[in-house]
Amino acid sequence: MNEIKTTRRNFIISSLALGGALVIGTRAQAATVDVSPWDLPNTTGSAEFTPWLTINADGSVIVRATAVDIGNGTLTQIAAYIKEELDPVWDQIKPQYASTNRDYLEENVYSGPKVGGALAYFSGRSTGPARMDTYLQVAASARERLRAAAAAAWSVPASEITITEGMLKHASGKSGGFGEFVTAAAAIQLAEEPKPKDRSQWVFLGKKHPGKVQLPEIVNGSLIYGVDVIQPNMVYAALRQSPVMGGTLKSFDADAVKSMPGVLAVVAVKPGDNVPTDLKPPFPFGVSTAQHAVAVIAEHYWQARTALDALPVEWDDGPGAQWKTTQQMNDAAIAALDKPGEKVEVSTGDFEGVFKAAKKTVEGTYLTPYCEQAPMEPLNGTAMVTPERVDFWHPSQHSQMAYMVAADETGVKPENVFFHQTFVGGGFGRRVFSDDARMVVAVAKHFPGRPVHVIWSREEATRQGRYRPLMAGRLWAALGDDGYPTALQGRVSGGPGFFVSGINDTAITSMLPNVQIESQTVPFHILTGPYRGPGYNSNAFFVETFLDECAVAAGIDPMEYRLNIFGKWADIGWAKCLNEVKAKSGWGEALPKGQGRGVAIANWGMGGKADAGTTVATVAKVEVSKEGVLKILQIDLAFDTGRIVNEDAVRTELEGGTMFGLNMAVNEGLNIKDGQIVEGNFDEYPMLRMADMPAQINVHFGGLSDNPRFNEIGEPPAGVIGPAVGNAIFAATGKRIRQMPFRTQDMSWS
Amino acid sequence: MAVNLMINGKATEVDADPQTPLLWVLRDHLGMTGTKFGCGIAQCGACTVHIDGVATRSCQFPLEAAEGVKITTIEGLSPDSSHPLQKLWVEFNVPQCGYCQSGMLMAAAALLEEIPNPTDEDIDQYVSNICRCGTYTRVRAAIHKAADMMKA
Repeated sequence: MNEIKTTRRNFIISSLALGGALVIGTRAQAATVDVSPWDLPNTTGSAEFTPWLTINADGSVIVRATAVDIGNGTLTQIAAYIKEELDPVWDQIKPQYASTNRDYLEENVYSGPKVGGALAYFSGRSTGPARMDTYLQVAASARERLRAAAAAAWSVPASEITITEGMLKHASGKSGGFGEFVTAAAAIQLAEEPKPKDRSQWVFLGKKHPGKVQLPEIVNGSLIYGVDVIQPNMVYAALRQSPVMGGTLKSFDADAVKSMPGVLAVVAVKPGDNVPTDLKPPFPFGVSTAQHAVAVIAEHYWQARTALDALPVEWDDGPGAQWKTTQQMNDAAIAALDKPGEKVEVSTGDFEGVFKAAKKTVEGTYLTPYCEQAPMEPLNGTAMVTPERVDFWHPSQHSQMAYMVAADETGVKPENVFFHQTFVGGGFGRRVFSDDARMVVAVAKHFPGRPVHVIWSREEATRQGRYRPLMAGRLWAALGDDGYPTALQGRVSGGPGFFVSGINDTAITSMLPNVQIESQTVPFHILTGPYRGPGYNSNAFFVETFLDECAVAAGIDPMEYRLNIFGKWADIGWAKCLNEVKAKSGWGEALPKGQGRGVAIANWGMGGKADAGTTVATVAKVEVSKEGVLKILQIDLAFDTGRIVNEDAVRTELEGGTMFGLNMAVNEGLNIKDGQIVEGNFDEYPMLRMADMPAQINVHFGGLSDNPRFNEIGEPPAGVIGPAVGNAIFAATGKRIRQMPFRTQDMSWS
Repeated sequence: MAVNLMINGKATEVDADPQTPLLWVLRDHLGMTGTKFGCGIAQCGACTVHIDGVATRSCQFPLEAAEGVKITTIEGLSPDSSHPLQKLWVEFNVPQCGYCQSGMLMAAAALLEEIPNPTDEDIDQYVSNICRCGTYTRVRAAIHKAADMMKA
């Protein structure tokens, strides 16, 4: 038991008395999102204008969302598009999740190439052109049909009818709500579809910044996440997979637990036990396979957990057990950097010749460990499998992938698979591949006819991840007489699934005339996957720490060094972001001993091009005690997404992404012992808490270039905070931090 | 074993193993899913409820200890989401995924009850919950604002 306070008071009465006396300004909000907005049918009296949009008899507007909301506000953004072009009352807009089953039956109506393709059902940004254009068009078309229907009813020209706050009005005094005209409007064929407004005409997008539509249901606990799903006749399952990834289940003694309270069955799961579907995996990283596992199914979850803990199980660890220690793996990754990479990612100019002639060169070797996304909602899902039909409730980050996996695991025809997207308690990449979805269905199909709710323990989720890969990197630069780089060489290595993004396609690589980037895969057995800013989250640390080392070698202020380099880059956003944080962070102001500032700048998604992706520049101010205890004092960041549509949504993601990247850099690193992941829970895998954070993360908007793109914002800040802090530690202590997590590094000074 | 509980002012009877954590009694036996499962070892605080007004991590609080105490969950923090913290959580757009926020709210409510005008250090100490989305700066701001408003 963990009691936080010791005195007792009658809490309820006093808070109610206070609550009634308060007047609080309210922000615009849609209080009407369903707590479980999954693929619901149209109601009586409603009219479906397109599969994306239905208007109900009461004038409320259903908009169907493909992009899963993992806390990034996709449902709210989609509602905002409808508000802009159709102008219903804000809280009469009801986002629901679009059915993957219907998508299959209606020729990819929600996932065709024009509406987002492979990423349509992915919880990526909600402001991509395919999404934005689709919703604006759908709303504009519905608006014109409503006006046409009202014009016919009132015998006035449609052009004289206005729509404001859900009401159609004419100067003659006639007026009516959407509900009066929906049936007629939905049947109208327009000679030509209207064009959505030009951005300069927007009155809601970019002007208002509504909070997330699901906030009212979050604060009273009624929002249904995957783990909250309750279905009639439901049973629970607790899961254990091979402790060494790739290992196999040798034996288990079901008899030892079958008489325990509530226990219904003990089932074994293995790969290759599926009945493949013809459906193609929508996400471009291939299909997961089930892992060898055992699960206990019981009437209640705690009964399943207790019985699983008591279950005798033997595993055959397989080849992964050869990796005895973390150090052995780190050494293997770094050793791979000593020889030329098997793959040349980038090669321009004559880097070898420049290095040979260089008077001054800089070299740095860096390492980042395996990291677990650790969303607060543990992995879970509920599936009811029969020979004819699958119903599957699950907090996916990619509904279409989970739908495909449910068909692929059971062999049930896709038209009879019904995937119900729940709210999601954090994603960060962990719920994209749908390997978790597969395990749920693989367990549930052994207990057909009842909904089986499979819940990972935190320990199981942490040790059976799809991690940010262990990666090592080495960089070399030749410096010219002025101290600035003339050539760059880089080698990166890591286990299968590591990414070079962030080093092969970043600005410095694109700008310099003489560059070679190589990569080398090391045969580790640990499974990997996307983790906020894949590749970038390691490579930005390598590149930006290295650039700092170059600045020091050249004897130039690290901010000036970057400004002089990136001031020449074709994308003006880089210099704008640097100038913004330089001005706002107090850069250059004197600091007491033991304190320091560091800067880093990087771009997520640029693909080697200017005016693409999202650039973030971050300045961290830190204090390091003589004993080497790190404290973050201040964080300032500037960014360039091109443009933005919801200032507060952007701000929250920048705050959250910075916090995530800070935790990654300072705290996170999984260890390996005899092939198994050591850490299981938050006592061993620490998370930053309130006490570890500066009071504010200062988000500055002066870096925006107004380039015509609305690029994503969740991942970009995660890559730069780590090197900014590492560079600040160097400024404070003179100790260069080249390995994450920083808490394992010696930062003491005298 | 049948146990009589007092939850959000209502008497309820539950038949479960006395060692079952209150968290799972609430979620699974009673269908009250506002209280969240995050870690199971009293580390993250997602399962925070009030036991006789004291913020308590229900994943480590066995059913047998729950008899004869007053239990308040997020569903009972206010009847209509009118607690100042609930209003400010919406006003300040605090939650991102929202999963940890039931626990955050319960921890913050107990703090304000104990210390009506908390310092940053008080907040650090009383609200030690984990939020993976990184909402800490807004949680802190909302608590300070709530303290100001409840004073007025």
